[in-house]
Amino acid sequence: MSHKLPVYLIDDDESVRRSLRFMLESYGLNIRDFDSAEAFFAAIDLSQPGCALVDVRMPGLSGPQLHTQLLQHNSPLAVIYLTGHGDVPMAVEALKRGAVDFFQKPADGAKLADAVVKALASAKEHYQNNQYLQTYQSLTPREREILTLIAKGYKNQEIADTLCIAMRTVEIHRANLMKGMQVGSLAEMMLIYGRIADRLPPA
Amino acid sequence: MSVGFCAALWRTNTPIILLILLVCSPAAMSSTGGNPAAVNVLGEQVSTTESPASLTLAALDANNASINERLSSLSPEAGYQVVDVGVLAIRGYRATINRWQPLMGWLESQIPNSYFRLHPLSLEELAKGVETEALDFVVTNPGQSVMLARQFSLSWIATLRSPINNGAAMQVGSALVVRADSPYRTLRDLKDRRLGIVSKNAFGGYLTLVYEAQLQGIDLPDFVGEIIPLGFPLDNLLYQLGSADTPSVSGASLDAAVVPVCQLEQMQAEGLIKLKDYRVLDNQAPAGFQCQVSTRLYPNWSMAKTSRATQSMAKSVTLALLDLPEDHPAAKAADSAGWTTAVSQLAIDQLLKDLDMHPLQAPWWQRAWQWIQHHQQWAWFALTILVLLNVYHFWLEYRFSRRGRELINTQRQLNENRALLEHAQRIAIAGELGASLSHELNQPLAAIGHYCHGAEVRLQRGTSPEELQSVLNLIQQEVSRADSIISRLRNLLKKRPVSKQPLYLHQLVNDTAPLLAYELEQHHIQLSTNISGEPYQLPLDEVGVQQLLLNLLKNAADACVQRQQSEVDASKPYQPTIDIDLRYQEHKLLLTVTDNGTGLTEDANLLMQAFYSTKSEGLGLGLVICRDIVESHGGRFNLETALSGGCQAQVSLPRKFDGAQA
Repeated sequence: MSHKLPVYLIDDDESVRRSLRFMLESYGLNIRDFDSAEAFFAAIDLSQPGCALVDVRMPGLSGPQLHTQLLQHNSPLAVIYLTGHGDVPMAVEALKRGAVDFFQKPADGAKLADAVVKALASAKEHYQNNQYLQTYQSLTPREREILTLIAKGYKNQEIADTLCIAMRTVEIHRANLMKGMQVGSLAEMMLIYGRIADRLPPA
Repeated sequence: MSVGFCAALWRTNTPIILLILLVCSPAAMSSTGGNPAAVNVLGEQVSTTESPASLTLAALDANNASINERLSSLSPEAGYQVVDVGVLAIRGYRATINRWQPLMGWLESQIPNSYFRLHPLSLEELAKGVETEALDFVVTNPGQSVMLARQFSLSWIATLRSPINNGAAMQVGSALVVRADSPYRTLRDLKDRRLGIVSKNAFGGYLTLVYEAQLQGIDLPDFVGEIIPLGFPLDNLLYQLGSADTPSVSGASLDAAVVPVCQLEQMQAEGLIKLKDYRVLDNQAPAGFQCQVSTRLYPNWSMAKTSRATQSMAKSVTLALLDLPEDHPAAKAADSAGWTTAVSQLAIDQLLKDLDMHPLQAPWWQRAWQWIQHHQQWAWFALTILVLLNVYHFWLEYRFSRRGRELINTQRQLNENRALLEHAQRIAIAGELGASLSHELNQPLAAIGHYCHGAEVRLQRGTSPEELQSVLNLIQQEVSRADSIISRLRNLLKKRPVSKQPLYLHQLVNDTAPLLAYELEQHHIQLSTNISGEPYQLPLDEVGVQQLLLNLLKNAADACVQRQQSEVDASKPYQPTIDIDLRYQEHKLLLTVTDNGTGLTEDANLLMQAFYSTKSEGLGLGLVICRDIVESHGGRFNLETALSGGCQAQVSLPRKFDGAQA
């Protein structure tokens, strides 16, 4: 259940933090709160999926600065901005950075909960993609080459001709590929490849 | 003296005069006792001023007896003619009788079947007598003779000749007499002195001298200190003046006296005074004139016939007078050398005219009235001008008072406007604080919203209401927080009736600084507060001081932001700071707000002028209001350049300040 993924609440104002936590917990979310970005970074493994509800303005690191650091770490954590007085440029900027949503306090509980759930799902996906990418990176260069050609719809014979290798060799690589990618079918492997294709370095 | 005033005197004396005239009238004369009765009445009137050295009572009785004798010798059926002669009594009643009665005898002896009755009268009585035709002839001095002649129909028949000056007919003038031992040399020495005269109407005794003074350019009544009319007899004047040997009767109450010419010499001849005791000022007696005189000479006493006397009687009397020998007792008794034909009275006319007393010369106001009647167009013009000027005057007055009221109103308006302006500036600050305030206010509101929604969701999912009780407390806390923010703002915004309460300044600082916290944070400005000394309370205008603090902090923050924006040197990172330093000293409380912003770009005094601002959107009121507020607490407000290059605002408040003024 993506519901059980952690939701991190980062706001310097205690009453806002406590009230938000109270509200979101009523939706069965797993909330952890921090009074500053620094405290958050100190406590959290950024590679794990989850959702960060971040106040835009805080002493110390601000919301956008926190977001930037997450992006730099390629963290799967999904970010939702909270602001006391949002304006359009700020929201546009936030969404460009990849924020899932942008809420003005006081936030509507149901919508916020929905957004959090979506964010968690997106985080989970992001996390899985990260996993796939890691798997992909564990493949040998020849295997990645063959995978790319399979994705382009080449038959085994055509791959062998293109790479100037024996048909048999292609088949062995292909079997290893399926094993390495931990998939049972070609379709499944193509699905995963499709997810990570845009994040792959050009061949 | 104006004619009007004389008339007023006349009216007041009317009962006495009527009585006299009644007694003197021919009807009354049918009784043989009439004349003595008249004598008695008049005698009583003047006897109070009678010279003590003049005739004795016995002599008067003898005189009266002789009159009665002669009256009784004449029978009514003898056909004698009664002639009433009025004589100006200048030296008292008895002296007058003594002087003129012999002349009456001479006339009776010259004119058969006639009886001349002598009436010694005062100036006013004489005039009244002529007016009512109670007299046939008058004998009077030149001044009055002209006055009478021009008012009534009088014909002058003879003028008295003086015995002492070769029988000259010019015999009247004034002698201005002072004591021989006095310092006065001329009329001009008599400024602000006491001058004794016989009467302001007296011709020889006063008016001639006034005229003489006027010819010298002196307005005598104003020139001397006081003019004291002593009335007849003239002797009193010299007695009052006193002499070296015989101090004056009433303690030398006069500095000088005016007497008719020859009065002095005559009294010397009578042995009443010694001539060497007196001096006559400005003597201008002509050669051969035996008396000293301070004025020019005017014709002597004259006799005139009234309209009552018949022509034949007048002719007889004239002839008898001219026939009177120089050495006749009657002439001598009258102090004269007989009579001569009437002389010209022109000089007297001239004098009276110049003194504005001529009977034919209407008083100035009558002449003015006549002039006005003849020059109506000018009169109307002048009147119109006068009315217009008055209207203009009142219009100016009205305008002036209206302007005055407007001025007061304007001032009041100005004061109101100043209060409004202060208020507006506070609102402007509130506007600048808006972002900060809305952020601050949003926090508790957001919290409340979150709590409510969370509770609602929980209730829907089956949580029991009892478990949610604690949330209500949390909501309540947030409501209180919002309320305190709003009341802080309201305090700042409300029009302040200035009231000072004992407060700790540092508490106000602590309350006020958070209003700007958000803004400071946004620009990463560090605010530090340092309090030293033992805190004590001061009577402070809470809102005013808050406004002061906000203005100072806002200025400091603006300066920091300005420097931040202009800072181009990235190698030296700029950390904006604002330091509030509060020192509770023994006699005063020092508050300094120091920033490290752009610093002062203009003279501090210039900055504290109203509507002067270096900021593009500034009203130019902040510092003015700061200074006003500090001064209303009896303190001083200063701007200086800080060591860091920024600006330092210094507020010094005295610990004891009695000024209740806001």
